[in-house]
Amino acid sequence: MSMDGDDASHIGRSRDEPEAFAEIFRRHAPGLKRYVTRRLGADTAEDVVAETFLAAFRQRHRYDLGRPDARPWLFGIATNLMGRHVRTEVRQLRVLRRTGADPVAEPFTDRSDERVSAQADGPRIAAALAAMPQGHRDALLLFAWGGLSYVQVAEALGVRLGTVRSRINRARRRLRAELGEPDGSARPAIVHEEPVHD
Amino acid sequence: MTEIDRLREFRSEVPESPGLDAEEARLRAAVAGAADPAAGGARRRFRFRGRMALAGALAAGAAVAVATVAVAVDDPAPGAPGPIVRTMPVAHVRVLQQAADRAGEAPELHPKPGQYLVIESRMMNTAEVNGADGQVKYLYQVERTMWRPYEGDSTRAVLRTTVLPPKQWPGRPIPEEARRGVGETSTEKAADFDGRAEWLRTDYAYLSKLPTTAEGMYAHLYTGLGTGPEADAQAWQNLGGMLTEAYLPAAQRAALFRAAAAIPGVTTVGRAVDAAGRTGVAVALDVPGTGIRTEYVFDPDTYDYLGERGVVTDASRAQAPVGSVLTATAQLGVRVADAPPPVR
Repeated sequence: MSMDGDDASHIGRSRDEPEAFAEIFRRHAPGLKRYVTRRLGADTAEDVVAETFLAAFRQRHRYDLGRPDARPWLFGIATNLMGRHVRTEVRQLRVLRRTGADPVAEPFTDRSDERVSAQADGPRIAAALAAMPQGHRDALLLFAWGGLSYVQVAEALGVRLGTVRSRINRARRRLRAELGEPDGSARPAIVHEEPVHD
Repeated sequence: MTEIDRLREFRSEVPESPGLDAEEARLRAAVAGAADPAAGGARRRFRFRGRMALAGALAAGAAVAVATVAVAVDDPAPGAPGPIVRTMPVAHVRVLQQAADRAGEAPELHPKPGQYLVIESRMMNTAEVNGADGQVKYLYQVERTMWRPYEGDSTRAVLRTTVLPPKQWPGRPIPEEARRGVGETSTEKAADFDGRAEWLRTDYAYLSKLPTTAEGMYAHLYTGLGTGPEADAQAWQNLGGMLTEAYLPAAQRAALFRAAAAIPGVTTVGRAVDAAGRTGVAVALDVPGTGIRTEYVFDPDTYDYLGERGVVTDASRAQAPVGSVLTATAQLGVRVADAPPPVR
């Protein structure tokens, strides 16, 4: 089945023909699932992705049809939903930092794969990610893993472009600092414990 | 390799084409339900942490991030042990029992389907702005009038807010940006989406059908929760969700207070001042890991519910001195109306 037209045209059509929304799922569910899985693990990701598309479907009447690409909208909804799981995310990152074993990636790791050694800096990346404020982690990962541009990240998070720039810059600085430390001497990361907004 | 390249390698084992059968099935059920309105059962409510109304109201101020004191308790993992048999402990908090005894004394409202409950309140919450010097915290204050439909979630509610002058985060100056918008009033849809679980609904149609026994209400407060301090804290938060910008019939209100009086760990902390400056008596429970306890404040004479407060118990975790109040609400009035004001 070949489907032409941008996301907006399918969302517009789905207002009268709900089945047209399936095309949005077909296009974006794989990328979104991978993104959420990398942050939260496979079990939680299934729930978040299902709820993201259900929420998007219900909100399709209010989608701005002037935006051809639906990804910022979908990733924004998913980011909101993931906010419920911040503790899970940070806990898993801390496990990796402490033990070197990644509860998120483990189920996907082929035992004969030498990627395990290629990812020797995993614990330090995890330490940096766990230590940054949630808003910074959201911006950084939407950019690095979600493949969104800065403008799209701003759209997804509902913040100004300048805010995205400063968040990503600071997140990158933290990441660089953590990766620059020689092995074993990494400073204990201070984790932001502040409750997060919905 | 830059740090971004290394980050892109991180967890790259996660496959490009993950399984999506469960997600697709759920979407298809919703699509089928929309295509055939008779198949109403296909519509599901989405689970989402509460307080969407607040997030919605503040989304307008782009650089303003707001933290509410809420505990995120993860859903039980699939394959987790089955339903927990829960026995309500003996109630031990006198203030709440007195509030239950007096619940029937105030004149009762009887909203009808199609009508709205209009709830006026004042709220203080923590906020931060991203300024040139990094994130600056302050306390945001707002006056709220909520038109909540008899039945339905927050996406059908209308919220009018007036921004009040900010207060300083204990020991820190108020950032200039915090004063922007003070005095401005806006009337908007209360939330863009509201995926609360069924059992966290706070519309009158739902609340008025809840159990009128303490045991039944206790079970309701713990719906979906496990046992232990985190579950108790979440049940305590759920109580707040039912009291804040919501209206319960007297019978349910009495049952709710009796149930809350039995939540393990709840203490009476005595004198407390709500967001409107009224002095009452408070009952409290710590929110694990935050250094903050959530208090509910009652009128010392009538035992009417006045409001909620978040009070610092651990200075290093909360980044504010012990005893300081970081969040507060005051419920100021409730009435019934036939329609909400127009939304721009």
